[in-house]
Amino acid sequence: MARITAGVGCSHVPLLGVAADQGKTKDDYFRPIFAGFEWTKDWESRERPDVIVLVYNDHASAFDMKIIPTFAIGCGERYKPADEGWGPRPVPDVEGHPDFAWHLAQSLVLDEFDMTIVNEMEVDHGLTVPLTMMFGQPERWPVKVVPLAVNVVTYPPPSGNRCWALGEAIRRAVASYPEDLNVQIWGTGGMSHQIQGPRAGLINAEWDNRFLDRLSGATDELRWISHIEYLRETGSEGIEMVMWLIMRGALGEQARCLHRHYHVPCSNTAIGHIVLEPGEDSA
Amino acid sequence: MAPIEGGIQRYLEELEDIPGTRVFTAARARQGYHINQFAMSLMKPANRERFKADQKAYLDEWPMSEDAKAAILARDYNRLLDLGGNIYFLLKLVSTDGLSVAQGVATMTGMGFEDYTRMMLNGGRSPAGQRSKKGGY
Repeated sequence: MARITAGVGCSHVPLLGVAADQGKTKDDYFRPIFAGFEWTKDWESRERPDVIVLVYNDHASAFDMKIIPTFAIGCGERYKPADEGWGPRPVPDVEGHPDFAWHLAQSLVLDEFDMTIVNEMEVDHGLTVPLTMMFGQPERWPVKVVPLAVNVVTYPPPSGNRCWALGEAIRRAVASYPEDLNVQIWGTGGMSHQIQGPRAGLINAEWDNRFLDRLSGATDELRWISHIEYLRETGSEGIEMVMWLIMRGALGEQARCLHRHYHVPCSNTAIGHIVLEPGEDSA
Repeated sequence: MAPIEGGIQRYLEELEDIPGTRVFTAARARQGYHINQFAMSLMKPANRERFKADQKAYLDEWPMSEDAKAAILARDYNRLLDLGGNIYFLLKLVSTDGLSVAQGVATMTGMGFEDYTRMMLNGGRSPAGQRSKKGGY
């Protein structure tokens, strides 16, 4: 039986991809950021997950204004890195897991989450930067990936509660997959940042850390945070944090924090990173 | 279950209450459709080359206002946000110009890039007084 063994929350700032691709991870600016991922890289190399359900947002790469899916699940064989205006990142293609992904897609639709199914798309920094942070620069990625893209660009994005509930449905769907699979779920994006308008550069470390605090334990109060609170407190792009709630919802009632890291700044952004494992459900 | 307190009108109203911010609502998405699709076209190297060779001619292929074209030529990103541009799309233009995300973003703040970088190194812009136009908190 497939099972979710861990959840990871992680920023996906494009500059981190640039730093890794250009060999700058030891520079003064980047060292404290990459140092925070050393624990996780080591942990991942021991955990050896088979597949990651990777929740991210597409930044106008695969999806433009023509089609705006709220929740899209990638069921394809493989995904190439997108050219976001400066050429594609020099990273391996991302290998999908069509059998597992289609199982999730079918299960979620039957569980009343009406997913958009994507068979062909390119993936941008939102998906490839977290892979780099967790696995470094291998010849090929050591895991298969089910991309789960969330619209956080055109308003309204899904509510935090809906994201959490989707995570709960993913947990049920994973548990009904007959093959033995070690599955991790990652929620990416955030933390506080705003990259538009005169208010750009906003950072709210206190709010971010309170968010990180409440990801572990038995509380589910994060699901009730309103869009306007994310916007006011964490900047217009801080809304990406609703994607972390899909990850958290998929871990069950309880979650235990194994590792946590926070750093300001990376480019315009606060970097946050947390590793969680599911606790025992009371049910 | 009521998804949002006060209904959609109140929800949309609140999105306009944040200082120095244009939330990408449906109204802006409709207004800026062609600005954003133009920016999207710059993901293809051949289009970037053609745009760089003759920017005005490239823009004239798109059904957008002269106002929008002028804002693109001037790289006036705040104006482009006002006209319905979305930053994730506009960043394709920043990249086409060979600038980093932070360099492009800094142009919207009224600060020079050095000052902006220093602010970020010092912990970023505080949310104090930046949360609500009406509330002033």
